[in-house]
Amino acid sequence: MRELELYFGPQHLGMVGNFSITLKVEGDRILKADANPGYLHRGFEKLIEQRTWMQNFPLVCRINVVEPDHMELIYSMGVEKLAGIEVPERGKFIRSIYCELARVGSHLFGLWAYSNMLGFDTVANWAMYHRDLVLDLFEELTGARVYHIYIRPGGVRRDFPEGFEDKIVKTLHTIGSKVPDYNATFFENRLFEKRAKNIGKITCEEAKKMGAVGQAIRATGMKYDIRKIEPYAAYDKVDWKVPTREDGDAYSRILVIRDEMIESVYMIFKLLDKMPKKGDVYTKTPNPFKWRVPAGEAYVRCESSRGELGLYIVSDGGDKPYRAHFRTPSYSHGLTILEKVLEGESIADVGNIMMSLYVVAPEIDR
Amino acid sequence: MKSLKKKLESSFSDIKINITDDSRITVNIKKDAVVSILNFLKNLGYEHLALISCIDWIEENEFELVYILSAYMEKDQEYNEKEKKTILVKTRISREESKFITVINIFENAEPYERELHELFGINFEGHPRLTPLFLERDYKIPPFRKDFDTRKYVKDVFDKIPSIEERKK
Repeated sequence: MRELELYFGPQHLGMVGNFSITLKVEGDRILKADANPGYLHRGFEKLIEQRTWMQNFPLVCRINVVEPDHMELIYSMGVEKLAGIEVPERGKFIRSIYCELARVGSHLFGLWAYSNMLGFDTVANWAMYHRDLVLDLFEELTGARVYHIYIRPGGVRRDFPEGFEDKIVKTLHTIGSKVPDYNATFFENRLFEKRAKNIGKITCEEAKKMGAVGQAIRATGMKYDIRKIEPYAAYDKVDWKVPTREDGDAYSRILVIRDEMIESVYMIFKLLDKMPKKGDVYTKTPNPFKWRVPAGEAYVRCESSRGELGLYIVSDGGDKPYRAHFRTPSYSHGLTILEKVLEGESIADVGNIMMSLYVVAPEIDR
Repeated sequence: MKSLKKKLESSFSDIKINITDDSRITVNIKKDAVVSILNFLKNLGYEHLALISCIDWIEENEFELVYILSAYMEKDQEYNEKEKKTILVKTRISREESKFITVINIFENAEPYERELHELFGINFEGHPRLTPLFLERDYKIPPFRKDFDTRKYVKDVFDKIPSIEERKK
């Protein structure tokens, strides 16, 4: 059969997001894949060097469009470490609750993209509706639906409004009561099992070699989770489990995502119970126009909904960062693992594998 | 933490190790020893390359390359102190020459990171199989993430030449 080159770009129906892959195919089989990012390169890391420490928030939250919250968190953690700022107890709990809500929202968005691409439109509509309910919570809390800019160095911008805890519980009960329906129509659906089982398989050893984090490595049986390894915010204050699977294929990755969502919901309930009822939510920081952060460097990491998210930040003692470099989970997933895993698979599974690896293009390009 | 410091100090000469309280170790080392120290750390179990970064110290006329390593746990194992540690291996290279050795044969996922640094900082990684453009589409005289690249001047030079709609109509 003849060998052809196929440009699998953002205009292709099987592609989700602004990302492209050049495929060498023979019939329906992929011989070689060449990932080609850059559609969303906005040079944020360069722009960050030209803005003051506080001015950078609108930039960092746009690095990952789907879940800006962890981006705010990681940048705040970096600045806090450089400047030696402590977060008050209640602020830590609010951060954790906020980030877990963001994880639920982001996983629902991922579920929308994945099920929509496989043709499960009903599930896609449910997921989008439930994500909207989470966004309603964010809107009440922060005033914005997508880019919240709620976390700031030293804590969070403001306290929960009155009765907000009850609203969180109510929304999560609404979403949680739909889990059996999700299971019946999607996760335990035989059509979906046939489509996702034994697709895009990686073993634990391969995953380690290629720098996998997040669901990609937890689906191979390793409990690698930064929230447990290096607890930040209030994750060490409550008891929770890290869901894992054994097979390392697309199906187990999606099931890990589902289990994680459920675990997040339980975790939010526990965090709400344990949260101190009163107290400051932020520490005062200097005037943002005159704020000079002491010279030094820091590497901070947290667990975003896609895996280990890191920030290497350097200050030269000025009013702007000297250098900031984000280690985003999609980078290794989308450029190293995707290229390797696609070899030998069929064209119809490109989007399937890419979404199961949970690749988000803006995170790669930055 | 201390035992790791001792091990490194006995195996490598010309090494400066700095331990910060929160489980971060910074290792400053000469550029010839980087490949061997990365191999050494990988054999000790620090097999997760989290990031390769670069800082442009323009006043000292040097680039600083930073390799950030951490450890994976074993399959089905619970958490212990080892995964908490992060090692930052740092080295300096000359800004004019701006070339270094690739570490792909040690860490597979170094490939896109080196490609990115080649494109944005103009560092040539010898032995890298494809140093092709990753993000950018235009050619730049100065790689854009270097400190002497003036974004405002570049925007003025490139985009001021595009005629406005009124001018195009004439």
